[in-house]
Amino acid sequence: MKAATFLVSCVVAVALVATYVALGGTSYEPTPVANPCAPRAHREPNGTDERLQLVVLAAADAAACRLGVSREELVLALRSTDELDQLAAEKGKSRDELEEALRDGLVRAVGQSEDEGLIGDTTAGALRFAAEHLPLGLLLDLLRRGSSLLG
Amino acid sequence: MGLGIGLALADSSVVTLALPDILRRFDVEIPQVAWVLTSYNLGLALAAVPAAYAARRRPRPAFAAGTLVFAAASLVCGLAPSFGVLVGARCVQAVGGALLVCAALDLLTAIDGSDARSVRTWAAAGVIGAALGPAAGGILTETLGWESIFLVQAPLALLTILALVGLEARPIRGPAGRPHIPANLALLLISGALTAALFLLVLLLVDGWRINPAAAGVIVTVLPIAAIATGRIAHRLGSPRARAASGAVLIAGGLGALGVLPGSSWLWTLAPQVLVGAGLGLSLSALTERALEGRSPQAVHGGWTIAARHAGVVVGLLLLTPVFTTALDTNEDRALRAGAAAVLDSSIPPLDKLGLAQDVLAIVRASDREVPDVREAFVDRPDDEEYRSLESTLVSELDRAVTAAFARPFLLAALLALAALVPIAWSRGRVSV
Repeated sequence: MKAATFLVSCVVAVALVATYVALGGTSYEPTPVANPCAPRAHREPNGTDERLQLVVLAAADAAACRLGVSREELVLALRSTDELDQLAAEKGKSRDELEEALRDGLVRAVGQSEDEGLIGDTTAGALRFAAEHLPLGLLLDLLRRGSSLLG
Repeated sequence: MGLGIGLALADSSVVTLALPDILRRFDVEIPQVAWVLTSYNLGLALAAVPAAYAARRRPRPAFAAGTLVFAAASLVCGLAPSFGVLVGARCVQAVGGALLVCAALDLLTAIDGSDARSVRTWAAAGVIGAALGPAAGGILTETLGWESIFLVQAPLALLTILALVGLEARPIRGPAGRPHIPANLALLLISGALTAALFLLVLLLVDGWRINPAAAGVIVTVLPIAAIATGRIAHRLGSPRARAASGAVLIAGGLGALGVLPGSSWLWTLAPQVLVGAGLGLSLSALTERALEGRSPQAVHGGWTIAARHAGVVVGLLLLTPVFTTALDTNEDRALRAGAAAVLDSSIPPLDKLGLAQDVLAIVRASDREVPDVREAFVDRPDDEEYRSLESTLVSELDRAVTAAFARPFLLAALLALAALVPIAWSRGRVSV
């Protein structure tokens, strides 16, 4: 009786845990965010706002890939230079490295979007100029306003 | 008398569902409000053995005094004008509770005429009280307010004094032997593990999954029902040692399953609750019987078991709470990123994307280690399919994050229950079973 009670308890306990694991218990957690270095599928844009938004998101992907962070972390930190500095400090990057990654990411995204026909030559030229010459604060402001992404 | 024991031991967990209301009433922080629980359990752990020594000399007056102190302190808790008074009254309540619970053991021997029967009754009353605590507290908090938990206890406790009418109990003299260390150590570990089931499960349902306290109180009655049902047939299931080991395994299995929940519906908690309840019904009474078997005076050794159990609760609270809050922070960050991805990839107007993301971020940051309610960010937004779908995705990501945050403390608690197998095995041959 002693051994039977103990054995039945062990079997029931293991069976319940195994059932929950089999039903996905170990993977029930927040959805992992996509790898910013991998190509990302997007739906057909509708209007200028959405086209510019895709350029900014592609720029965020390229910069995030270079910095070793997720696109979402970077976008949430784009709200201000202070938050960007905080993200850079957390990831062991300097302010210069971060700025360079952002500028380079935007240039790459503009080139890619131009190739895909998402934006025209004039818009691409203006964005390239902004990426290469505007101070970081103004560039962030432009990204926010220009893409409408940041409100 | 069983009612008095049940009340005193239920008090270690009865206020779990009332903590958010108490926090708001006294405008205190989460670490402070936890002292409403910790102070009572710590008080009981520290006072139990001295109270038991006092009770063995004069059990009747000790029971009456303990009950009066417990009832008076309960009234003060219910009418407390400040948080300091509430915590102070909880300490006094614990001292009264320790005195009445320890004295009750000797008095039950006088009533039952048998040590073994009185220990079974005493242990069963304690198990039922501890298991019913969160459910009773949740229902009272939702229907009558948190104060009612304490105000209802006072007259109920006073009723138990009627049990003393016509009762004669002889004082017990002579030295008390050493406590049964393996059984008490196992009780400590099992009680630490049960903290997760009695406190964290309730928090998961109410704060994590936003189920109202009364409904949560009903959901967690599965655990005491399983404990009571198993307790009724426990004596047919082998020796105290076999029952204790089986109970520890069932508790570990139930807590392990709570640590790998496949979804965020309360239905997933039912089977683990049955296991934890059955384990509680088997192990607590068995270990208590084992700690008291062949030992005299019963009140003193009963005091050791109370001290071990409530020290275990304090250890559980101190160990599991920081693990949970750290995991919650980490998972909230992950949920925030997943939520940001959902917002960025959604087809809501571009102008509103970061506005919404910022609102969600502000709600999460303002939550200060409480589970945030991201639905607030959608209150003033359009009521269309896109927004509803996005709201549902964000809530789902948060549910996943919160459920995953509880996983680690539940799994740690399962390890505590398994660790109890060591002292249970160690006790082999020390006392015949």
